[in-house]
Amino acid sequence: MPPLVMALMSILIGVTGCVGYVYFSNLVLDRVIFPASGQTCARNIGRANLVRPWLFLFPALAGSMLYLVFPFAGAFWRSLFDREGDAFIGFANYRALGADHVFQGALANSLLWVLVVPAAATCLGLIAARLTDRLRWANLARAAIFMPVTMSLVGAALIWKFVYANDADIGLLNAIRATLGAAGPLDVLQIPVWNSFFLMAVLIWTQTGFAMVILSAALRAIPREIIEAAIMDGADATQIFLRIEVPQIKGTITVVWTLVTILVLKVFDLVYAMTGGNFGTQVLPGFMMGVMFRDDGRASAVAMVLMILVLPILAWNIGQARKGGD
Amino acid sequence: MRVRARHPLRACRAANIAVLVLALVWFIPTLGLLVSSFRERDQILASGWWQAPLAAERTFRVRADAGAAVTEGGRHVIAGNVFANDADAAMPGRVKAFGVSSRAPAAFGTGLRADLVGGGSLSVGADGHYRLESPRAFGESAPTIYVRATMPPRFSLDNYRRVLADDVMVRPFVNTLAVTIPATVLPTVIAAFAAYALAWMEFRGRGFLIAASAGLLVVPLQLAFVPLLKLHQGLGIGQGLVGIWLAHTGFGLPLAVYLLHRAMAGVPRDIIDCARMDGASEVQIFSRIVLPLTYPALAGCATLQFVWVWNDLLVAKVFLPPADGVRVMTVAITDDLLGSHGGDWGMLAAAAFISMALPLLVFFILQRCLLRGLLSKAPEWR
Amino acid sequence: MKFKGMAFVAAVVMCAAPALSRDLVFPPGVDDRFDWEGYESFSRTDLSDEVLTISGPWTGPDKVLVENVLAYFEAATGARVSYAGSDSFEQDIVIAARAGSAPNIAVFPQPGLAADMARRGYLAPLGEETADWVRANYAAGESWVRLGSYADRDGDTALFGFFYKVELKSLVWYVPDNFTEAGYDVPRSMEELKALTEMIAADGATPWCIGLGSGAATGWPATDWVEDLLLRRQPPGVYDAWVENAIPFDDARVVDAIEDYGWFVRNGAFVANGTASVATTDFRDSPKGLFTFPPKCYMHRQASFIPTFFPSGTEIGRDVDFFYFPAYAGMDLGAPVLGSGTLWTITRDSPAARALIAFLKTPIAHELWMAQAGFLTPFKAANRDAYASELQRAQGDILIGATTFRFDGSDLMPGEIGADAFWKGMVAYTTGQGAARVARDIQARWDSIR
Repeated sequence: MPPLVMALMSILIGVTGCVGYVYFSNLVLDRVIFPASGQTCARNIGRANLVRPWLFLFPALAGSMLYLVFPFAGAFWRSLFDREGDAFIGFANYRALGADHVFQGALANSLLWVLVVPAAATCLGLIAARLTDRLRWANLARAAIFMPVTMSLVGAALIWKFVYANDADIGLLNAIRATLGAAGPLDVLQIPVWNSFFLMAVLIWTQTGFAMVILSAALRAIPREIIEAAIMDGADATQIFLRIEVPQIKGTITVVWTLVTILVLKVFDLVYAMTGGNFGTQVLPGFMMGVMFRDDGRASAVAMVLMILVLPILAWNIGQARKGGD
Repeated sequence: MRVRARHPLRACRAANIAVLVLALVWFIPTLGLLVSSFRERDQILASGWWQAPLAAERTFRVRADAGAAVTEGGRHVIAGNVFANDADAAMPGRVKAFGVSSRAPAAFGTGLRADLVGGGSLSVGADGHYRLESPRAFGESAPTIYVRATMPPRFSLDNYRRVLADDVMVRPFVNTLAVTIPATVLPTVIAAFAAYALAWMEFRGRGFLIAASAGLLVVPLQLAFVPLLKLHQGLGIGQGLVGIWLAHTGFGLPLAVYLLHRAMAGVPRDIIDCARMDGASEVQIFSRIVLPLTYPALAGCATLQFVWVWNDLLVAKVFLPPADGVRVMTVAITDDLLGSHGGDWGMLAAAAFISMALPLLVFFILQRCLLRGLLSKAPEWR
Repeated sequence: MKFKGMAFVAAVVMCAAPALSRDLVFPPGVDDRFDWEGYESFSRTDLSDEVLTISGPWTGPDKVLVENVLAYFEAATGARVSYAGSDSFEQDIVIAARAGSAPNIAVFPQPGLAADMARRGYLAPLGEETADWVRANYAAGESWVRLGSYADRDGDTALFGFFYKVELKSLVWYVPDNFTEAGYDVPRSMEELKALTEMIAADGATPWCIGLGSGAATGWPATDWVEDLLLRRQPPGVYDAWVENAIPFDDARVVDAIEDYGWFVRNGAFVANGTASVATTDFRDSPKGLFTFPPKCYMHRQASFIPTFFPSGTEIGRDVDFFYFPAYAGMDLGAPVLGSGTLWTITRDSPAARALIAFLKTPIAHELWMAQAGFLTPFKAANRDAYASELQRAQGDILIGATTFRFDGSDLMPGEIGADAFWKGMVAYTTGQGAARVARDIQARWDSIR
């Protein structure tokens, strides 16, 4: 059977299976186990409603347990063992990481990435969303900005090779410098500290389009009356944007910000492809890949540190969910 | 209409210009890749892509054909054209200068006569015709001619032809599709149910599960590879399509749950409460009210997962067997084109564009979804 | 339920994948450069029902070459061979072995990784008779046996890897026309090479093209330089001790070799586009400077595989040639050669896997690849006339004639050092850090993994 037919069949089986499961399990729950009739009607409804959420949750819960929670718990356990996985060494891996200046550098870089990239991508995406909103050629502009999102990493790395290359005949940046009369080519990937920003630019470039699409959908969802009212009050475009639109879509901004942050904490292939982690550009996931499959204890410990880095943004999300949900 | 005309949010010229600049800055790097995909590897390394549409100056070497030597009045002569190899080109190049040593490849202007080291002389005309003369016979290796010439721009579809013809990308394209579609649909559907429960059902541990779903977003996938592959072997799935669908579904769930939960939680409470008063069951509320209202979120979530799976290399390497028949595009690109013995940037660029085509198409479809008036009433993500 | 059904479907699809059944590139029995007897003798081995899976590092054009050789094994024995090449072989094989989905044969480009796998019990020993065979039939046989022998899980040493396909690293590529026109001679000693370097620079040209860029592996070309120079400045014993870390990485003799590499690379006048560009120029793009007019550089030190990356249409021997990266005349250390090779191991034992290893012991298995491209062998019985070109024959002769052959040290060191810290250290040194400091950092990393 050709793979595509298989794929379509699997969708058919998977989706009908999942939908059927939810529908019939609810049916069974309401009609057979706790029928909403007879004397125990009220109690049965209450009981059924206690069970029902878990029916909805079960497929997702099982999937993420199996594919993420257990491996992750296993990784924590593994991080307490030595490189062979034989001897329990407590938190020695974490202590070793603390003393490792390469790790410290990677941690500092990762923090920088987490601060800069989500902020830049979200802001630029917001601006792009707002500006293209009432433009006649909006679709064209959006396509241009969205294109990098669809780019595979290999493509992106190649694209930026043509921008950053340390050769005025290949790298666009150096060609521009040469036309402006700069002396020799400059390797932007080797300038300490700044090189990280040039790498971040690539990720910002790929993520802005994503932020733009989601934010522009949110902007369109703002009730017109609110904006019309502001216009009546004599607010100008900037005021409306900052005082009304941005607060209105705060939730969506959090979502975008979170997603980009998560991505930043995972992406290593970009740095890998462009500098191999040299010139002080190493980030935590790249550092982790360096020890992965050689010293799994150490690699798992790095994964735990990554997890800790994401806690603040997690707290922010939960805080928001509380405020909004209840 | 008059209100509209005074609308302060109408696009002013400044906005137009700003968007133009932004779009250009975003598009120019991509344009570089696009242009490069029509050039050969040697061209890519010789001049910047922005110079591609211009006539380029190129310095190259021609070896005179010693076998073509004739004697004219006691002198040995070789005549020929330096552009002989480009004979099929639509526009011939123009010679600007020539030389007899690699260090000074453009020492002589056209029409001049250069003395050869071993005696004799060389002249090259602007149209490329050259004439070597020597009192002595040329040995087996005739002198080398260095030429600096202006060459017309050259583009070719060769890269695309090679990528598509050699079956480098066609089969992998189909395979990628086969991996991506179920790996997009399944997690979205499964997550939608869970998200609804998290958003609109009361139960103990709900807050914890919401937090956990967000926390799982950052779990590095690499940690899970070995245990999961073992699990798949144990289940008898092994490496294959089923395995990778399950893996992508598992890995994609936290993102889908996180996004859809936020979207569903944004549905106004009144609507849900009303429906419950009317005696609608949870399944009905979910399918008739919440799903249609969160349609944009579902579409956005599916797009994200689609793009992520489409461009994934890591998971594909681990969960698909290494055999040729089931390779996906990213694997084909890195192994065949980028491989440490490849490095053909032109072909790589062409392959990158082919792999971009479908996600872009998905984007345009999504755009239409998002722009439909109906959806603008949808609640926002909180 | 539903998954079981799908698994069955998947299994069917997988089995239907076409086995490798290509035409034999050299018709059997025709060309007398080949030892057809070895091929014939294998047709007595009947493996018609066997499937043999092989994973290796070769992709793209190289994959075709290896498959061409394997096709003969298929044709002779009837086994179905499926070779899969991966650009990230090192990572893939570890995951596959741990998850229990290893292929029958794994071809390691790095002995260090193979040793690690052997220690974890993922490799099957090849047996004493194979070790004896290598000892007797390979030039410098004992060193090949030593490179392929590792301790297993219980600490007992046995032969786990069989070397097949060797690469020469001590080569300097140059354009003969450029040398003739400028009046340069091919240097016979390191002193002459350094003098030539200075002379080219004094003539206002640039002697070297060096590029260390290689994505995640950025820096590896520099490790080859340092290893080659260490072999030329110190006796091989020092090299061996350094590789095993019996002498520390920051030993004065090692630092001295690093600084000798620095003599070439850290002088802005000696490298094309200046030292700063070395670390980021892709190694695949770096030789192009040889082929520009005027030349951006005159020499490029790289292993025997590099012609793949020369501009299309370059004829080797006429447009470009190589010379042996020479030894110091004043050091009296003979003619050391640095090389690398691929190690064939059994990761899942089967009769077909054993038969393939036996097949690799026949001259024809070597000659078939020699006659294609990019293959060198220390196997003495392989007919050197089978080499596809004069150039390869000359490389083969360097290999056979080496007084000292040493394997690429970075491939022998533990992965964290040889495939990470050493690479990154060399990039740091190339971009300006002190040799002693770089060496000290690498040693510190080495200490931390013990």
